[in-house]
Amino acid sequence: MKKLLYVALNELLLLRKDRMAAIWMVILPLGMTFIGGLVFGGLGGGSEAVVIDLPVVDQDGGEIATVVLDVLSQTENLNVETVFDEEMARELVSDGKRTGALVIPSGFSAAIMSGQSAALELIVAPGGQTAPLLEGMVRGVTSALSNVQTTVEVAISEVQRATSSTDLDYAGIAGRAMATALERLHDPPVRAQVTTVGSSEKELDVSSQIVPGYAVMFAMFTVLSAAGGILEEKERGTFKRLLIAPIPRWSLLGGKLIAQFVVGVGQIMLMFIFGVLVFDVNLGSSPLGLLLVTLATCWATTSLGILLVAVIRSRKQIHPITTLVILGSSAIGGAWFPLFLMPKLLQQVARLTLVAWAMEGYNRLMILGGSLADVWVDIGVLTLYGAICFFVGLRLFQFKEG
Amino acid sequence: MMMSVEMNHEQSRGEKSVIRVDNLHKHYGDVHAVDGISFEIQQGEVFGLLGPNGAGKSTTINVLCTYTEPTVGEVVVAGHSVTAEPETVKRVIGVVPQDIALYPSLNALENLRFFGRLYEIPRARLEQRIADLLHLVGLTEHAPKRVEHYSGGMKRRLNLAVGLLSEPLFLMLDEPTVGVDPQSRHAIFENIQTLNQQGLTVLYTTHYMEEAELLCHRVAIVDEGRVIALDTPQNLINSLGTGIIRIGVRDEAGKEHPVGDEMLARLQALPQVRTVVHRDETLVFETTDAQRALLQIIALFNETDTPMASLEILEPNLESVFIQLTGKRLRD
Repeated sequence: MKKLLYVALNELLLLRKDRMAAIWMVILPLGMTFIGGLVFGGLGGGSEAVVIDLPVVDQDGGEIATVVLDVLSQTENLNVETVFDEEMARELVSDGKRTGALVIPSGFSAAIMSGQSAALELIVAPGGQTAPLLEGMVRGVTSALSNVQTTVEVAISEVQRATSSTDLDYAGIAGRAMATALERLHDPPVRAQVTTVGSSEKELDVSSQIVPGYAVMFAMFTVLSAAGGILEEKERGTFKRLLIAPIPRWSLLGGKLIAQFVVGVGQIMLMFIFGVLVFDVNLGSSPLGLLLVTLATCWATTSLGILLVAVIRSRKQIHPITTLVILGSSAIGGAWFPLFLMPKLLQQVARLTLVAWAMEGYNRLMILGGSLADVWVDIGVLTLYGAICFFVGLRLFQFKEG
Repeated sequence: MMMSVEMNHEQSRGEKSVIRVDNLHKHYGDVHAVDGISFEIQQGEVFGLLGPNGAGKSTTINVLCTYTEPTVGEVVVAGHSVTAEPETVKRVIGVVPQDIALYPSLNALENLRFFGRLYEIPRARLEQRIADLLHLVGLTEHAPKRVEHYSGGMKRRLNLAVGLLSEPLFLMLDEPTVGVDPQSRHAIFENIQTLNQQGLTVLYTTHYMEEAELLCHRVAIVDEGRVIALDTPQNLINSLGTGIIRIGVRDEAGKEHPVGDEMLARLQALPQVRTVVHRDETLVFETTDAQRALLQIIALFNETDTPMASLEILEPNLESVFIQLTGKRLRD
């Protein structure tokens, strides 16, 4: 047992002395996760609301135009910019500097006041993603104004019917009705009240996907690269020297595998700590579940390493093959994108990779807030995966020639 | 100085056999890397395995150190069979492999400590042993340096030190001077001689005949997996007479000139020629007096109009013995 420990400690010492390994194990994964988090998630984990700048050209200058500008200015996520030249507003949109612009045409207020039809012109670029949002906002305003106009017409009609008088101050009635209706635009008597029930809605936090995904991928790089180190030792002759020393084979191989396993676990934990500190990643409510998924993932990865070393046997071949295995299984296994975004068939194929089971476990814990009970299957499959790779690898592993 | 060392060799050597190799065969498929080698090594002896690359020297060492199992044959080290008691054998042997079997990113101390711990040497004793060995191989000052920054000779010397960590009864060195500068080579020789004086039994493989002549009490010359001669270097050299003559027999077109039985008989009958062997376009003469024999041979070549493509007079040494026995050079 002591010799197993000596071999494991020597492996860790070799790793510590290898500067490239430090870059590969720490700096590169953290750097890539940082970049991925910035690109896909944003720092701090919070998703700040998007504010749309809307240039408005007021060619009308009337009372209703002022109401339109007031209502739009009070609209959430909209920043109204006053522009005096329609041509300039069109250029802002066509140049891509703004996603849309609004023109309040001359005579707009007079038309509304006199009960005639009128239109606000919304200029948008074709295919713009925020155009429907802008359109909805402007339609909200035009719809409210239509209601105002309808209200005025109904009010006058009802007064006429009730009094049968033709000698009434229709303009005054219309003005007062209009003023009241416009006031209500600022302070609507009917509101939609949103009530939330149950636990808070599960928003897909991209960092909670990226951090475990990259952690698993880079842990695989580290562990499988260390496994390839056994072939390097064989070529260098140190493996032979170990074999002719009085040390049981299980201690020799076990020591190396334990070191790889410990490094893999350490690397994933480091990535999680980084994720929490930099991206405010939510690790879920089951630390034990997280630990067990991590241990099972590293066990499966370490065992896959010994299987690959046993089968490949050439240092020149092992690096390209392990790279292919890691990148391929990371891509389809959900380390880069959530599994549920992939085609059904690919999701089934992904089940053959250890990455898929690891990511399913992490996603259940970190995104869906699951407990240990929710990830038993993933832990079990990863453990079994590791056991199969380990025993097949051990059976095929060639300790010595002849 | 050398005289006193040799005297000590004689004194320390006993009749007790430390190694017994009996009819050893090692086959890799159809390739017979070792094809029936037998020898014994006495306690306190420096025994050489001399032969060209691919002769089977390293394979023999691999079997002796338990790394490879023999196909056929018995190998006993200090009374223990390498196949039946490999773990016991591992504790009494030291091996200096042909490869620089060290961790380049670690320094000498870290390499020695790691390998020493595998032999369960108590910590204090291991530290003392490491200090002694670093002193022996002249690397004390360089001990904190990473091995990757060592010269080839320094790596070889550290390779030797690792092989000695377990204080073995029997040390095997597989071509320990390959790619080494003369200074380091000399240092390694001195180390081996010093250790042998202290009673260490040594098996030394090489394809440098000078090394075998200088270091070994007895030498087994191996070729194509077999021992073709085994004796003290002096006895092997004495068996040659006073000189070896090699003559290439090719005509002007570069084709082999046929040497008939009659010609061979006439050459064999020359007074100064002890033996003549015809192999691969070459005639190899073992003579009692190389100078006189050469005059007689040239006269006969002229008389029979036999073309002479090349001519070499070889000093009597182990290389000449090998050429005499195989018709090939050690480093062909």
